[in-house]
Amino acid sequence: MTGGGVSDNDMPNFSWLAGRDASGIQDADLSAMLAGGTPPADASAPLQHVADVLAALRAAPAGDEAAGQGTALALFREQVGVSSQPIRSRRRRPTLLSSLLSAKAAAAVAVAVVGLGGVATAAFANALPSAAQQFAHDTIGAPSPHASNGAHAQSNANAGHSGTPVGPNASGSAAFGLCTAYTHAKHHGSAAQKAVAFRNLENAAGGAANVAAFCAAVAHPGSPATPGTGAASSHPSGPPSPHPSGPPSPHPSGPPSPHPTGP
Amino acid sequence: MLAAAQDGDEAAFTRLWLDGNAALLRYLRVIAPEAAEDIAADTWVHVVRGLPRFRGDETAWRAWLFTTARRRTVDQARRRARRPEAAIGEVNESELPASDDTADVALEHLSTRAAIALLADLPPLQAEVILLRVVAGLGTDAVAKLVGRSPGAVRVAAHRGLRRLADDLAKAGVTL
Repeated sequence: MTGGGVSDNDMPNFSWLAGRDASGIQDADLSAMLAGGTPPADASAPLQHVADVLAALRAAPAGDEAAGQGTALALFREQVGVSSQPIRSRRRRPTLLSSLLSAKAAAAVAVAVVGLGGVATAAFANALPSAAQQFAHDTIGAPSPHASNGAHAQSNANAGHSGTPVGPNASGSAAFGLCTAYTHAKHHGSAAQKAVAFRNLENAAGGAANVAAFCAAVAHPGSPATPGTGAASSHPSGPPSPHPSGPPSPHPSGPPSPHPTGP
Repeated sequence: MLAAAQDGDEAAFTRLWLDGNAALLRYLRVIAPEAAEDIAADTWVHVVRGLPRFRGDETAWRAWLFTTARRRTVDQARRRARRPEAAIGEVNESELPASDDTADVALEHLSTRAAIALLADLPPLQAEVILLRVVAGLGTDAVAKLVGRSPGAVRVAAHRGLRRLADDLAKAGVTL
């Protein structure tokens, strides 16, 4: 610590110090500047330079100093957002929200599972009205309404219109539908439903022995266009697929599906 | 401004945050140059959480902000001391370009950076008390409390620091 200023030997190098010693800096001036004041009008050059440094330190926020504002604001909204409410209810809000969300999600999954189960069974039994059957055919790969290979084909208004047996497209959502229908029919369906569901599945899988492996490899469709499978996964254990037809499932290629009614 | 922010006014909070964050970074870039951004972000998490329950005026709030930042800095230094190899590898690479590369920063920011660099050459206590007075806008007593020294010691350290700064500038022939 030199305490004072530059030594006399240094002085000649700096014309702006001529005639003044750096000790000309007064404590009172320093105190004023620290408190936010400006140096006196007749301030020595060193004092003026110090003032310049302090002014730079006090300059308005700039450049990267504003980085992270979004994060801070998000945090603020989370913590203080509705601060007219008592703190207690602010604390409770996330819990309430998350429980609402999980209840809603659970309900959606339940609806999807129940809905798909029933519809799929009916669809694979080919027992839906024509339009619905066509829809089921398009979305979950149930037999086309024009097919008559089901045990309940006679209940279909269009039964017999096309005599060609129809097996669903064996990939993607169709495969998922087959597996779901089979699983459902196995547990809840009639013998006839079981037979139909399994036969379709067997065709798709390329043989009875391949059914288990086939269904294990099937991707779960999550098409928003599919009723009951909407945003929530139509299957509680599977992630929703962004596309209804998903990636082709890696099963042994079965026999090509006869598909007289087009896609 | 503080009261409005506590009532949920986002514009008021944004103003407080921007001023406070700039001040925090200027302070931290001198006392913890390798981790300034991290500590500032950490500090905000703590301070924003406590904002609804904070009682006091804006000066008290600023003191709280810097007290928090200072504690985090001490904690960070302790953690680093425990695993120095991680500190060198992780932080220096990301921090160095920010502090050394002045080519693409705005002109007014450049002089702030230059000022920070000048402060960083001072003895640590002198630099810190000057920053707390000037950048945080705290009075001598508040700074004394914050750094755990007497007000007299703070005043002396600040004045010595400024005189030394004048010396350094004179020796370097710096024209700001």
